[in-house]
Amino acid sequence: MMLPEPLLVIMAVCLPLLYPAMALRAAWERAMRYALPVLPLPALVLALGSEPGWQLEMPWLLNGGLWAVDGVRRLFLLLTAVLWMVAGIYAVGCLRPDHLRRFCVFWGLTLAGNLGLTVAVDIGSFYSFFALMTFAGYGLVVHEGTNEAIRAGRVYLVMAVLGEMAILTGLLLASAAAGSQMLADLPEAIAASPRRDLIMALLIAGFGVKAGLPLLHFWLPLAHPVAPTPASAVLSGAMIKAGLLGWLVTLPFGEVAMPGWGALMIVAGAVGAIGAAVLGVCQQRPKAVLAYSSISQMGLMVLMVGVALADSGRAPVLFSVIALYALHHGLAKGSLFLSAGVSLPAGAMRRAVVWLLIALPGLSLAGLPFTSGALAKLAMKEGLLENRLEFALAGYLSPLMTAGAVATLLLILRYLWTLSAKLGTGHNPPMLVAGWLAAVGVSLVAFWWMPWEAGGLVESPVWLPAPYQLWALVWPMLIALGLALLTLWASRLVKQR
Amino acid sequence: MTLNTWIPVLALMTSLIASLVIFALPEKGYRLRTAVNLGAALLKLGLVVVMVWGVFRGVGYGVSFTMVPGVTFVLKADAFSMMFAGLSAVLWLLTTIYAVGYLEDSPNRSRFFGFFSLCVASTMGIALAGNLFTFFLFYEMLTLSTYPLVVHRGTEKALKAGRTYVIYTLTGGAVLLLAIAWLHGVVGDLPFREGGHFTGSDPDIHRSLTLIFILLVAGLGVKAAIFPLHGWLPQAMVAPAPVSALLHAVAVVKAGAFGIVRVVHDVYGVDASSALGLLEPLAWLAAFTIIYASVRALWQVDLKRRLAFSTVSQVSYIILGVSIFGPVAAVGGLVHLLHQGIMKITLFFCAGNYAETLGIHRIDEMDGAGRRMPGTSVAFTIGAFGMIGAPPLAGFITKWTMGSGALAVNMDWVVVVLVASSLLNAAYFLPVLYRLWFRKPAAHWPHERQWGRLETSAWLFWPPLLTAVMTVMVGVLASLPFSPLSWAELIVLREYSP
Repeated sequence: MMLPEPLLVIMAVCLPLLYPAMALRAAWERAMRYALPVLPLPALVLALGSEPGWQLEMPWLLNGGLWAVDGVRRLFLLLTAVLWMVAGIYAVGCLRPDHLRRFCVFWGLTLAGNLGLTVAVDIGSFYSFFALMTFAGYGLVVHEGTNEAIRAGRVYLVMAVLGEMAILTGLLLASAAAGSQMLADLPEAIAASPRRDLIMALLIAGFGVKAGLPLLHFWLPLAHPVAPTPASAVLSGAMIKAGLLGWLVTLPFGEVAMPGWGALMIVAGAVGAIGAAVLGVCQQRPKAVLAYSSISQMGLMVLMVGVALADSGRAPVLFSVIALYALHHGLAKGSLFLSAGVSLPAGAMRRAVVWLLIALPGLSLAGLPFTSGALAKLAMKEGLLENRLEFALAGYLSPLMTAGAVATLLLILRYLWTLSAKLGTGHNPPMLVAGWLAAVGVSLVAFWWMPWEAGGLVESPVWLPAPYQLWALVWPMLIALGLALLTLWASRLVKQR
Repeated sequence: MTLNTWIPVLALMTSLIASLVIFALPEKGYRLRTAVNLGAALLKLGLVVVMVWGVFRGVGYGVSFTMVPGVTFVLKADAFSMMFAGLSAVLWLLTTIYAVGYLEDSPNRSRFFGFFSLCVASTMGIALAGNLFTFFLFYEMLTLSTYPLVVHRGTEKALKAGRTYVIYTLTGGAVLLLAIAWLHGVVGDLPFREGGHFTGSDPDIHRSLTLIFILLVAGLGVKAAIFPLHGWLPQAMVAPAPVSALLHAVAVVKAGAFGIVRVVHDVYGVDASSALGLLEPLAWLAAFTIIYASVRALWQVDLKRRLAFSTVSQVSYIILGVSIFGPVAAVGGLVHLLHQGIMKITLFFCAGNYAETLGIHRIDEMDGAGRRMPGTSVAFTIGAFGMIGAPPLAGFITKWTMGSGALAVNMDWVVVVLVASSLLNAAYFLPVLYRLWFRKPAAHWPHERQWGRLETSAWLFWPPLLTAVMTVMVGVLASLPFSPLSWAELIVLREYSP
């Protein structure tokens, strides 16, 4: 299908960017609420309906603007558009009327930033959209106005400003080294630059703040849970991925092997994946558990980034796996966050169905067969097969991934446990339910029709894993289940005394 | 004499004649005065647009005659003068609109607008001056015409600030005059010339040239508020908001910065200044001012005082830019002459709106003002983010260009200064924005006035919004021809390859 892509991309960015103007009239408040789900529509059409390869040149923009979509960006764009849309539907149902217009303004601006940065190919507009998303996101975090939210917002803002500065300096150094204002020229220039390590450190740390890299993650478990539920979903599902995308488009993958940086990222990823799980299972509140789960999942993606850095030959393959994993995680995590705000219906049968729908995206994260998680996990496993990799840490990857899978399921079980204590019985606004069901449906069903590429890593048919793969997926889950039961039993014993 | 000779004279005369007419008008002639003011501002803007187009195509505008033998009076339009003239013309128009609303019903408006126009005429003269002598004439005229504006309110505090202002600037003027006379004695009357005069000059006069340079910078540095000569500026913020806006964004501090750029680029020449070893100390001084004033701004509780220290900091960007020996960094410095003007005038307009509409002067009174005055607060937010250097606003273009330029000539420490300054700007602007948008308002505003449909008087409402839009546009559309960035590139191209 032929589409006027340049027009679509301008609409995709400008619609949410101009939408806040509706706040000028108090009478449009209702319209503003109902417009929320429509905002990502052009972006969705763009991501689904157009083949990558077009570009839009805007020589008058900043230092020369260029917007385009390639295979990896397309998946990020799709994830962003879909998640913001289902969260938007959900928001229509769940938002309270106080400060509604303010919330919508920040929602639109944050969305514009998040969409824009996935299509921006020049440094100026990429960084502009990134900053827009960061600063407007503050408004979503502190929206509830509680002391806790304000404190979380402060930590968020301080970390965000520091991150922005690191990114700015890194981009400035890289751009000066490249003598170019385009992102595509940076990797080569960074690889050849005498300041390579400084630039790498700045970019990894700067984007790492957004991506929840261990030690830079403090803000994340504070900020993601305090935001209103739909905002939590997009924060943890889509915006966290912006940091990941930042790495993918700037770091010198495939230029030169960097075992040192690769090892550092692998260690960071491992610490994130497992450390966050340890901290996460200690959390009392469901959304905080999910925030730690996001850090843990990002840890696995950081791991893959590290491998791609260490082994430049594998980078192209790993890119599609990372994008696939990001898509899978974003959709599943979005559904999980949205489920934190639903109320249970009366009637045992209905309750069971709701609980099943709450649990399924979580189990998908843990790699349940026939889910997107199984596909992503298998693709990751194949992508990281040690006999194909050539660097020192390669032998540790397999046990790390297993540990990661155990950690994932433990966190999900913890989430369900804390949620069961919190969920009340009651009536849900219809739009809220619609948004949540849409999220679950997209994560479990529509995912299979999305344009991801498993790159020949996973044997077809993808949805039916081979027996050995099945076992590889299931046994970490059994361990986690065993651990959870053990904990439960131990806590019973303690209570009885 | 052709038309091209007369256009710069006319541009100068519009404000001058407007000033005289306004002095002659009775205090009550509100409509006529406003008409004269706006008419003159529009006419001047038109003339400047004509000159900008002409200078772009290489037309020479200018007039010169001998005052006494050896001393000439020169008016001349080059690319750099048009940058300052353009800033002055655009912002004068907006400030006039703003001032009409701001001073509604207040006494002595005739006096105010008379000196106001005189002040703008001085900036025009400074922009078009073709040699140091002419520059000095208008530079002092600026001092004298701004004093009545600073003390306009006539309060004890205003008079004290005015006294400080006059002591600082007249002393600076005296030092400047001494330096100009000395330079005249050493090398005679020098017109401003792209590329300067002292490349490959006689080594015998190098010592004198160095000393004269120091004196020139010291004299000009008072108005440009370089540390430690900045003391008058935070005090002068007692003046009415439009005056502060004009002092900070266009007239006074910019005149100083403009003069320093003239001395470096068009009297000494970048090559010669660099060869004499004059640029590096200047760069360090500017960098120190940037950081020092930002730190001071952190502790100010009065909104306008905080903005004043921010001005001290931001103006030194211009000086830092020209004192880095490299074309790209120079572009970054020059473009900030316009960028800082647009952003800072937005912030001062907004500060004035809060004061006039709600009686807010202190930052801790601003809680929740965003709901009461959304338009003003959006403008303030854009201005503040611009100052921080957030993309894609004006300040980002400055920082990006200057940073790239500094890296190109291996002055990496400049990037550290830029980042530190951004962090400090964030530290003193973001809490204000937080108060505006996320705090609950107090039960009563300190002194609220109602204006019907808009959040404030229409005269006050539109100017900051317009300048906020400009702050966005000069950043987003930085690569268009005739954008501040493109114009600064033109200036530097002519300077570095004369």
